[in-house]
Amino acid sequence: MSSDPYSAQIRALFADLSHAGDLDNAICSEIDDQGVHIRLAATCRGGCLQALRFRAWGCPHVLAACEAVCREYEGRPASDLEEFRATRIMEILSIPLEKTGRILVIEDTVRSLGRSMCDGSVPPVS
Amino acid sequence: MIADAVYLDYAASTPVDERVAELMLECRSSVYANPSSNHVAGRRSRDMIERAGMQVGALLNSDPKTLVWTSGATESDNLAIAGAARYRAPRGRHLVTMPTEHKAVTDVFRMLEKQGFEVTWLEPDTDGQLGPEILEAAIRPDTQLASIMFVNNETGVIQDIEAIGTVCRDNDVLFHVDAAQAVGKVPIDLATLPVDLMSLTGHKFYGPKGIGALYIADRPACHIEPLFFGGGQQRRIRPGTLPTDLIAGLGLAAEVAAGRMHDDFTHLVALREAFWNRIRGLDGLIVNGSPDSGFPGILNVSAPNIEGESLLLSLEPLCVATGSACNSQIQEPSYVLRALGRSDLEAQSSIRFSFGRDTTAEEVEYAAQHYLEAVSRLSELAPGASA
Repeated sequence: MSSDPYSAQIRALFADLSHAGDLDNAICSEIDDQGVHIRLAATCRGGCLQALRFRAWGCPHVLAACEAVCREYEGRPASDLEEFRATRIMEILSIPLEKTGRILVIEDTVRSLGRSMCDGSVPPVS
Repeated sequence: MIADAVYLDYAASTPVDERVAELMLECRSSVYANPSSNHVAGRRSRDMIERAGMQVGALLNSDPKTLVWTSGATESDNLAIAGAARYRAPRGRHLVTMPTEHKAVTDVFRMLEKQGFEVTWLEPDTDGQLGPEILEAAIRPDTQLASIMFVNNETGVIQDIEAIGTVCRDNDVLFHVDAAQAVGKVPIDLATLPVDLMSLTGHKFYGPKGIGALYIADRPACHIEPLFFGGGQQRRIRPGTLPTDLIAGLGLAAEVAAGRMHDDFTHLVALREAFWNRIRGLDGLIVNGSPDSGFPGILNVSAPNIEGESLLLSLEPLCVATGSACNSQIQEPSYVLRALGRSDLEAQSSIRFSFGRDTTAEEVEYAAQHYLEAVSRLSELAPGASA
């Protein structure tokens, strides 16, 4: 049993947040709640997510999960974002249950981004 | 060469001095008898304990008979505060302390409040100091005890113990001092300081964990009720078989500290100055306490708009303390920093760097650079930061 509060996946992602940043001409979703602040930006081509970037203020689990989301969804159909589930990423990254509230904010941000991309209701943010 | 862990958490605990460790090992194999036993082996244990009493007494300029051995500062604080409050309860049930004290103190007062005592919690000024006039104004005819710590464990703020103690003496109020962060690090002369009860622990000054002491001044007013019962040891104030090896270790740690206190202090001043000069230019940096005064072994800073848990992880391999407990859903910012007027955000982004005897200038330089880089990285990650 480890006393380390972070799984190996969390540590690896946190150490390499290569998807942190912004995108030009991107569609964005931003939520500030539960002590975390997340902004996701995406560009799309032919219905697929060309690039994903995030900015976040939060604990290591939140930052690592945001990085994981960006890595997982780049190249996939934008509609997949609406299927995102916090519980799944918590399981994959071994995020403790007490962080559920914060990871649900990521879920809301990701799904909101998915809706915006599919209905095109949100204007691009540079 | 920087090790895989850079230890800058000396306010939490210190490594055991090598000479202390050697003595304790020797003690465990050759001086193992119960010191209460009246045979030659027992007398040998008793002699070791008496020697330790003289060593601690010499460090504090106090009679060894004024010391009661305990398991550490937490027990000493409990014994002093609860013991004194209960003993003096027939005379009055009003007590005074500060919200910036260690939990080992504040939790005892909260327990006493539930038992019918009335506690006045004196707020510090923004630098963490308690003016003696504030204490004087709070004292009432039924006030029996005041407890104010010497060096704050989170901020390094040093209280004016002499002035505060004088107010207590003038008003016939018993004065307890939690000196866990002060003993062995700053000069303490109990022959002249108006202190009635003082808590100390070995592991904060290169002694072993699990051993401490409570100083009880040799004055008629200084009576306390015991917390434990079950034997006649230590004048029944704290019964139980004494751990000879731990006490011997504490005694030697006290002797070592007395011999090098000035050098240690000078070393810490240089380290803190070097560290502070490297990070002081950071925009919006808040010092919790004072960078120029207070105990030089502690520097507590809050970075602007930085999430504390991420900062702590980013700072690895630095071993430092944070001002928040972020491992729960609800973040709990440091109550000490909140009492100094810090916001929840400022408190939870605070980092306490605490230096010690073995800290090197190279480690301090590395720590400062690492801190600046971590703050910069996390700042750039936040929404709203410039790309």
